[in-house]
Amino acid sequence: MVAIDRVHKWYGRIHALRGVSFELRPGQVAGLLGPNGAGKSTTIRILTGLIPPDTGRANIRGHDTLSDSLRARAKLGYLPESAPLYPEMSVRAYLEYRSRLFGMDRTVRRSAIGRAIERCWLKDVEGRRVGHLSKGYRQRVGLASAILHDPEVLILDEPTNGLDPTQIAQMRSLVRELGSDRTMLISSHILPEIEQICSRILIVAAGELRADGSPAELIARHGGPARLIVEARCTTEKAESILGLRESDASTSELTNGWTHIDSRCAAHEPDPRERIAALFAAAHVPVRELRLVTSTVEDVFLALAHGRGATP
Amino acid sequence: MTAVLVIALREFRSFFRIPVGWIVIALFLLLTGAVFATAILVPGQPATLRPFFAIAGWLMLPVVPAISMRLFSEEFRTGTIEPLLTSPIRDGSLVLGKFAGASMFLLAMLVPTLAYPLTLWLVSDPSPDPGPIAAGYISLLLLGMLALSIGTVASACTSSQTLAFLATLFVMLGMLLVPSISTQSLPLGAQRILNALSLSPRAGDFAKGVVDTGHIVWFVASTGWLLVLATLALQSRRWR
Repeated sequence: MVAIDRVHKWYGRIHALRGVSFELRPGQVAGLLGPNGAGKSTTIRILTGLIPPDTGRANIRGHDTLSDSLRARAKLGYLPESAPLYPEMSVRAYLEYRSRLFGMDRTVRRSAIGRAIERCWLKDVEGRRVGHLSKGYRQRVGLASAILHDPEVLILDEPTNGLDPTQIAQMRSLVRELGSDRTMLISSHILPEIEQICSRILIVAAGELRADGSPAELIARHGGPARLIVEARCTTEKAESILGLRESDASTSELTNGWTHIDSRCAAHEPDPRERIAALFAAAHVPVRELRLVTSTVEDVFLALAHGRGATP
Repeated sequence: MTAVLVIALREFRSFFRIPVGWIVIALFLLLTGAVFATAILVPGQPATLRPFFAIAGWLMLPVVPAISMRLFSEEFRTGTIEPLLTSPIRDGSLVLGKFAGASMFLLAMLVPTLAYPLTLWLVSDPSPDPGPIAAGYISLLLLGMLALSIGTVASACTSSQTLAFLATLFVMLGMLLVPSISTQSLPLGAQRILNALSLSPRAGDFAKGVVDTGHIVWFVASTGWLLVLATLALQSRRWR
């Protein structure tokens, strides 16, 4: 449906994309996640045909974005970052203009505009000038114009950038709803946004695709071992002997009133040892006030892959 | 073709949604009106619109760059070029649409000046010769459209409206002033090229009421080539 194959892109001496490849299946909602300057926008600009790749290919529904660009663009809805619009036009006039650009005839145009206005909750402002709208409404107008021709593929570049928390929540629920019946690629540097909307996450950093999969797959593949946090009323030596720990396995610290804090790594063969550990402390008659398993999150994986830190939870 | 018309109409309407459009028309009509009232509408003088065409021709120098400077530069600056370039429209259609919209605005600016020949018709005896008047208007339109195509190229090259304005103004000035520059010291080939690019002799002939097909072809062909150049300038942005 959407494919990008071994794409390289240079801006002068800067190697912005280094052999990025991925493919989205029909109906898949994927998030392109990466820190600023990672290559997200370049990837999107190549997929939308705004810029050509230096090597490699990209296509939308089998139409090459370079050699068959017009057909590829006809299948595509695109919301650029911060939804650029003509401030002097009214919402309806702008949607009318965009639908004419896509060559829709009068009847199709009327129903398409009505549908887009309804789906993007623009009924209240359809007669108002775009320049007089809030940023949240402008984003929605941009989104409405991107879905006017009912594209099979929707690409959104940082759709919640610059919005306030309420507007972000509204935009997210709108994007989620739109993703129910089409293939969608959303670029963002905000992890919770991607986690909430997308079933697949593509992590890019320094021009490379560092990870690709569902959140669970990313954690399984790239997450570090889980950690066990214990707080027990005993000395550190006693806690270590109960747990059978060597010094290198854990960090321990003595707290006030005789409590000890232990932070240890779980062994690969026993990902969740809480029940066994609880039994050990009970057998030694040592009170325990905390026994917590900390597993890697997508954020840990993202930080590890994007910034080269260890993926410790 | 539909896309060209859609873009042209949006462009044309946009001139009337911003103050610049109204200000340009108002200043143009004010200055040409003043010339008409003081230099043409004089009792005892022969009925001719030559002073009007002369001043209107010179007014094209600041007016046309003011119209054309925003065609693409504004779209680059605000980012609205992205939805346009990702729509299923050819770059050539986009350039043609923008140019057509600006030309329609130029026409809308010239239409009210038809009041001058009409007034002259009503008040002067003998009536003015329609030939030079028609030639004058054809000349203004061709000159304006050529200048607009220069402006379209300039605007497609930069996101700065000021730069697009100045580039258009200086190229137009250069083309008008070529005959005034001493070309004797230049090699024969260079003299020929400069004369072929020169605007004044052609515009001058029109002002005298001479409609030379060669001149019309020169204006139309130059405008066409400049629009091709503007398309290439727009496409080159994708490769930068």
